[in-house]
Amino acid sequence: MMIDVGRMMLEILPEIGLLILIGVVLVLDLFWRKSRKKLGWVSFAGLLLIFVLTLVFVQPARLPQLTWGGMISLDMTGYIFRMIFIAGAALTVLYAIANDSLAGRGEFYLLLLTSTLGMCFMASAADLIMLFLAIETTTVPLFVLAGFLTRDQKSVESGIKYLLFAAMTSAVMLYGFTWLYGFSGTTQLYQIAERLKYGFVPQAAVVAAMMLVLVGFGFKISAVPFHFWAPDVYDGAPYPVAGFLSTASKAAGFAVLARALFVIFPLQTETWTLIVALLSTASMFVGNLLALAQKNIKRLLAYSSIAQAGYILIGVAADSPLGTSGVIYYLSAYLLTNLAAFGIVALVGRAVGSDEISAYAGLSRRSPALALAMLVVMLSLGGIPPFAGFIGKLLVFAAAIERGLIWLAILGVINTIVALFYYLTVLKVIYLYRSEEEDKPLAVSSAAGTALVICIVGIIALGVVIAPLYGWSTDAAATLLFLPR
Amino acid sequence: MGIPVSYYLVLSAIMFVIGILGVLLRRNALVTFMSLEMMFNAANLIFVTFAAYYRVLTGQIFVFFVMTVAAAEVAVGLALMVAIFRTKHSIDLDQMSSLKG
Amino acid sequence: MTIMQIIFLITASVTLFAALMVVSTRKMMHAAMWLILVLFGVTITFALLETRFFAIVQLVIYIGAIAILIIFAVMLTRRSMNADVPQVNRNWWLVMVSSLALFVGLVTVMSVWEGFFVTARTAPPGGENLVQLGTALVDPNGFVLPFEVASLVLLAAMVGAIYVAAERKEK
Repeated sequence: MMIDVGRMMLEILPEIGLLILIGVVLVLDLFWRKSRKKLGWVSFAGLLLIFVLTLVFVQPARLPQLTWGGMISLDMTGYIFRMIFIAGAALTVLYAIANDSLAGRGEFYLLLLTSTLGMCFMASAADLIMLFLAIETTTVPLFVLAGFLTRDQKSVESGIKYLLFAAMTSAVMLYGFTWLYGFSGTTQLYQIAERLKYGFVPQAAVVAAMMLVLVGFGFKISAVPFHFWAPDVYDGAPYPVAGFLSTASKAAGFAVLARALFVIFPLQTETWTLIVALLSTASMFVGNLLALAQKNIKRLLAYSSIAQAGYILIGVAADSPLGTSGVIYYLSAYLLTNLAAFGIVALVGRAVGSDEISAYAGLSRRSPALALAMLVVMLSLGGIPPFAGFIGKLLVFAAAIERGLIWLAILGVINTIVALFYYLTVLKVIYLYRSEEEDKPLAVSSAAGTALVICIVGIIALGVVIAPLYGWSTDAAATLLFLPR
Repeated sequence: MGIPVSYYLVLSAIMFVIGILGVLLRRNALVTFMSLEMMFNAANLIFVTFAAYYRVLTGQIFVFFVMTVAAAEVAVGLALMVAIFRTKHSIDLDQMSSLKG
Repeated sequence: MTIMQIIFLITASVTLFAALMVVSTRKMMHAAMWLILVLFGVTITFALLETRFFAIVQLVIYIGAIAILIIFAVMLTRRSMNADVPQVNRNWWLVMVSSLALFVGLVTVMSVWEGFFVTARTAPPGGENLVQLGTALVDPNGFVLPFEVASLVLLAAMVGAIYVAAERKEK
């Protein structure tokens, strides 16, 4: 059989681009001893270039195609998610440039890029081996990134905590993989589905394997009851890493979750719909109720991100094209919103020296622009039109209703209202409370400013111009349900 | 001559559960680590059993990669532990800022 | 009961005893030693399956690298735990019960599968086909992609571990 190397290389263009960028950063780190800060800009420019190249050259065919020996599937899902990850990484790099303890470290960019590469493979992996390696490529650098501030005990502890939770859940997930392999004799996702359908494998065994696998995915998306790590890790990790963990890493988890459930377990739909709906309900309630009690903004955002995972799971539980495109839309909106949130928190935290919500008093006078950005972010997280978060919520709730999961949609709406309470509390502190230092303006560096502007423009654009991304997500949702050629 | 598949699977299941016990029960981060290695080994055992059973390579290749990843994880984990020990002189998980859950 | 079965049962019981000791012993160094015994037990099981190559790999990577790394860490973090304080979580009985339930669940579910009581096949006599294994790892239509990604994981882990563990002077 002839192997068309050029075509195969083009199919993994974003990954190859990231690999080259990793090499460039590694080499430049050696030579630019004096001005390592430039490395951040090099990474940002590289990511931007990869983003554009991916956008133009990697457009997949309409029907999904297996390639590289069935390791990855080329489809719209992989395409969109790759762009989500690369965009998330680019914004995170901008925040890192603005952060003095990270900016001068080549290792930071190298690990961030490696993690992004892992995520890209997670989104398109079509084989258990590839999937496992992609997940580990994503998480291993994140352990170091979470513990990156080696002088700060809290940061290192959060690294260890993240590692122990990740390793434990991935061991359980791996055990689930062994069963899937044992029952089917193959690691290719589509073949597993085939063999499970025509082989004589008892339902109970398949469902048990599914539950084991769900433990690993549940950890990645920080759904209850696998959420214990999130508040501590977000609290201890450097701000840009916390933002990256709560957005890109979570989106990667959802990409894998959706593909695994749709592709491997189409016969167990009733079971997993129920399980996912229960996970969703638990995540929404636990996340929102605990967020109400938080005094620290990083922990508040952590619990809010658990609750957001709950809303997104509604879209997965709907098990429909509308639900899946809702998931993708929601994740894109959430990526921009939460990255902006962590960016603002980083700026304020470094200026004020505290992450307490009370430290935000008088922000509207110290920096009207930041306060306005926070307003947009909080309203988008709360699901208020005309911001992106609203469309995401609308789509997943509509999908639930369309599929008869009305109770789930109602619970989602109730939770949205509860959540508004704490989002508005933050805004109340920013706009109505006074502080003694409010005449001191707050400096925003050019890198962080650029990132914030991109995020805010994106949030508003996705909230107003729905058609392009919605069209893409619908295509992506359709490819997940097709068999590849 | 033959050993039933069930022997291997049960051995692996017991090892896996002992590993989970160690992770959940012990407070020392290093023991947690050793327990994790046992869980990975339990998975490897199943992969090798089925790779031999089906006479297909993929199971063995999976084991190959699991070992690679386990080595990477251990290297990073132990480095983090040495780093925390340097400042704190303890690797007791409960002494780290408690899980507020 | 054949000889092979007896060998298997002896190996299994030693392995599991060692595994229990790993999670129950108070001394870190002892736990590490028991872990080596567990890993060695798994090696023998691999050998019983005629998977010779992986038995050797298990020996080299797990015992030769990972276990030794853990022993290094044990020595570097000595005096980290005094042996008098309680070593287990408070709600240990809950963990015990749920683990037992998990085990029963796992085995019950597996035993309904038809392949459960079938005699295990070993790898073909002469061990596994190493040439095939090697070519599969570098074949573009095989596993070259995961192979390359694995090398990247190792690179990232190396860079990360050196970064975290290296002692830097204050600027």
